Amino acid sequence: MSPQLTLQAPLALSPNEVSGYLDRLWEKDLEASTGASTFTLVVWEPSWLQQQLIRTGHIDGPISGLLNEQLFEVARAVTADCGLPPCTSPMAPELAWALGQQPGSHTAEDLRGQFVDQAISAHRPRRLITLAPTLRDDHPLETLVAAYCPLPEERSGSAPACGDVVVLRGGKGAIEQGLGMVNPLVADDLPCWVWWNGSLDESPNLLEALALPSRRLVLDSSIGDPRRCLDVLVERIAAGQAVNDLNWLRQRTWTESLAMVFDPPGRRDALTHVVQLDIDVEGDHPVQGLLLAAWIADRLGWHLLSSYRIPANGTEAGIGAEFQRNDGQIVQFRLMSVPVGVPKSHPGALVGLRLICCPEGRKPLCVILCSESGGCMRLEAGGVATMELAEEVVSLSNESEEMEMARLLSGGHDSTNPLLAAAAPVAAKLLPH
Amino acid sequence: MTATLTNPLRVGLRQERVISPQCLVIFGASGDLTHRKLVPALFELFRQRRLPSEFAILGCARRPWSDDEFRAKMAAALAPVIRDHPTAWEQFASGLFYEPVDLQQSEHLVRLAHRLEAIDRLRATRANRTFYLSVSPDFYGSGCRALADAGLLSDPKRSRVVIEKPFGRDYGSAEQLNRIVQACAQENQVFRIDHYLGKETVQNILVLRFANTIFEPIWNRNFISSVQITAAETVGVEERAGYYESSGALRDMVQNHLTQMLALTTMEAPGRFDPEAIRNEKAKVLQAARLANEDEPWKCCVRGQYAAGGSANDPLRGYREEPGVNPNSTTETYVAMKLFIDNWRWQGVPFYLRTGKRLPKRLSEVVLTFREAPVHLFDAAGGSPTANQLILRIQPDEGAGFVFEVKAPGSGMRSRPVDMHFSYDESFGEPSDEGYVRLLADAMLGDPTLYTRADEVEAAWRLYTPLLELIEDSPWQLPVHPYEASTWGPGASDSLLASDDLMWRRP
Repeated sequence: MSPQLTLQAPLALSPNEVSGYLDRLWEKDLEASTGASTFTLVVWEPSWLQQQLIRTGHIDGPISGLLNEQLFEVARAVTADCGLPPCTSPMAPELAWALGQQPGSHTAEDLRGQFVDQAISAHRPRRLITLAPTLRDDHPLETLVAAYCPLPEERSGSAPACGDVVVLRGGKGAIEQGLGMVNPLVADDLPCWVWWNGSLDESPNLLEALALPSRRLVLDSSIGDPRRCLDVLVERIAAGQAVNDLNWLRQRTWTESLAMVFDPPGRRDALTHVVQLDIDVEGDHPVQGLLLAAWIADRLGWHLLSSYRIPANGTEAGIGAEFQRNDGQIVQFRLMSVPVGVPKSHPGALVGLRLICCPEGRKPLCVILCSESGGCMRLEAGGVATMELAEEVVSLSNESEEMEMARLLSGGHDSTNPLLAAAAPVAAKLLPH
Repeated sequence: MTATLTNPLRVGLRQERVISPQCLVIFGASGDLTHRKLVPALFELFRQRRLPSEFAILGCARRPWSDDEFRAKMAAALAPVIRDHPTAWEQFASGLFYEPVDLQQSEHLVRLAHRLEAIDRLRATRANRTFYLSVSPDFYGSGCRALADAGLLSDPKRSRVVIEKPFGRDYGSAEQLNRIVQACAQENQVFRIDHYLGKETVQNILVLRFANTIFEPIWNRNFISSVQITAAETVGVEERAGYYESSGALRDMVQNHLTQMLALTTMEAPGRFDPEAIRNEKAKVLQAARLANEDEPWKCCVRGQYAAGGSANDPLRGYREEPGVNPNSTTETYVAMKLFIDNWRWQGVPFYLRTGKRLPKRLSEVVLTFREAPVHLFDAAGGSPTANQLILRIQPDEGAGFVFEVKAPGSGMRSRPVDMHFSYDESFGEPSDEGYVRLLADAMLGDPTLYTRADEVEAAWRLYTPLLELIEDSPWQLPVHPYEASTWGPGASDSLLASDDLMWRRP
């Protein structure tokens, strides 16, 4: 699916002209059209990695804000040049930061906000507001406006339902200064989504200002300091905001695969006798692994007693914890970060899971899940051979952020998934301070 | 060992496609189907979080109810479920609306269009609308026309119409209805429902065939000697005499449900899992199907009607004694027939279909019998070796079984048949959704895979046209044989197979 550009060349206006221009546009120029009765989408779109790769001449422009496997390949290839370990994920903020220390002055056309993935544009956003910070902090604020209507052959009804695009581009400071114009542009009578498509560490004030509690927030808890990521998740969910976490969505094949192992009723009894849970993740970002552990603990009614750091042993370090089951027995948990040769696009992707159950009077059951690229050898060690073994390979989703986003926009995600709402606080407690 | 009731890791985990913001408009909202099937299925979807918050249900019928009256009636009908989920019902019911509409009155349609616009504003349903015609079949055509005239079907991406069964009474009426419907809407907007296709196990026929490599190479005339498809009911006509008297088992069960099972069992592999690819293959195989003897159809079909039966303690009325049934009725409550499919895969393989009311068991199944081993090396415990059989159990005890020969224990080399058994219950332990849950969700998603296309419906009617004409023109040639209630149908149906040296499977 190729991305779509807005049909009309965007018009550069001064920030205080935008609102009036859009009002006039809808009242006069587009009076034969109807504004799509859909939603407003506000996107924080820093695209630091893409911007830095272009600046340093590793890839060509334009700056689109869209990620693809080709960009990730280049990012993986430059990791070593940046002095980072090979298991650094392309989306890890430290890679963009390290690239920022390298020389380069290539420039490219900046089409962020105008370059909309078809999966998203198919939902006809009524207004798409993109905040596109530039590498240069002193870049003054530019505001661009464009309207769009479906092409005649794409129209399905008599009156075309149109929308508009607003882009705020400039240095971070300039964008923060221009923030006052964003909220009045958000229609009160339509749902509003805020997609924080960057690290949760940066611009906390901007996040506060954009992601008002009534808006549906989409974030990615794999990008940013783990503590900050989990705190944002927990605070927002506790405040009743609808929060969708792309990092949570990415682990769905793991939750599905684990549930599948226990679908046969004859196996379910083992779930009440879990004694050990081990999870391996790529690199040193534990949030996805912690969310998975927290989901299991919540579903099985475990109570967290303590958590602690496991000191680095060679290349591996981790987090340990003790849970108490409903029957008072203890469950040992370990999350280990393991090095991988070809890291996934996002930090902390799951590599393997091992669940050991010891039902009374029966042979222990060991469930091992591992990713296609990960291998299970580490988890198969330690006496597993004497147990009943259920081993599954988890196939990994290759869906882009935009596809995930489009799925969210298609409806039904106006409240936080209850499983995430229950898991996030447990995951936050699992992460030792 | 005690198994827990549900898999705790499965709760809330379903990976479902997401339904777009939507208003479902039910015509015939005061009827049975709405409160018995449709609204319960929608509430189930809501509880499973598969409906968007931008969702509304607009009930339409001639009765002058208000929104609150409609909500109260639905609440009364769903009381046992609501008792366990009061908060969910409260949220769900806030999206229930009602508009008095007579589809024959154009001013009512204008009012309906305004009401829908108001609901769009109130519930942000984005003008996505699914119209469900749960009205008398006589109004399917005029209902579609009224919706089209009011401009409510003009957007093929945002408006759809679901049409209940029966879709026509014969080939001619189905073709005419298709013409009317297709003049009002594009084919991809039309969803002709057959609730059998909503059953997990019917869908599993596709998965079993096309997700496994072991079956497809032997799924043909070279290895399969015959196929039986059975849909047996223990109940009688119940309160449906008015409808059933004019339809009978052939129209009520065979033309739709059994034919769909036949199509799924015999179709070629589609190139991809795509609604049109699948429906193309189903239509093609139905177009290749024919009665075993089209010139003398009475030789390949048996009709029956249940007579009184049961025990002294539990006597069962005969069909003609049922309330609302003509005492001289010749409507069939049982039908069995033999078909052939004239294509490379199935040439010469007989397909036996049977369905009936007041049979000893409630069950639906497809049984594929394989050819016998070319040489019998061993003595069989039962005299002769049993042919391998693959049994796809649609309901109840959903699953599959395989019958094959093994060595009987002992010093000799005698063989005997055993069953290998797969049960949905044992493997998944979760009850399947009611068929309407799946089908309603698919219609709102715009996925027609499990709905029948115009050419499929017409092909199915065309297949049975010789029988319908015979019943119409010279019914004495295809008499209804009485059979005692709670038996496996008239003896004549056994003769149908006996002439091929076969027997019906006694499940």
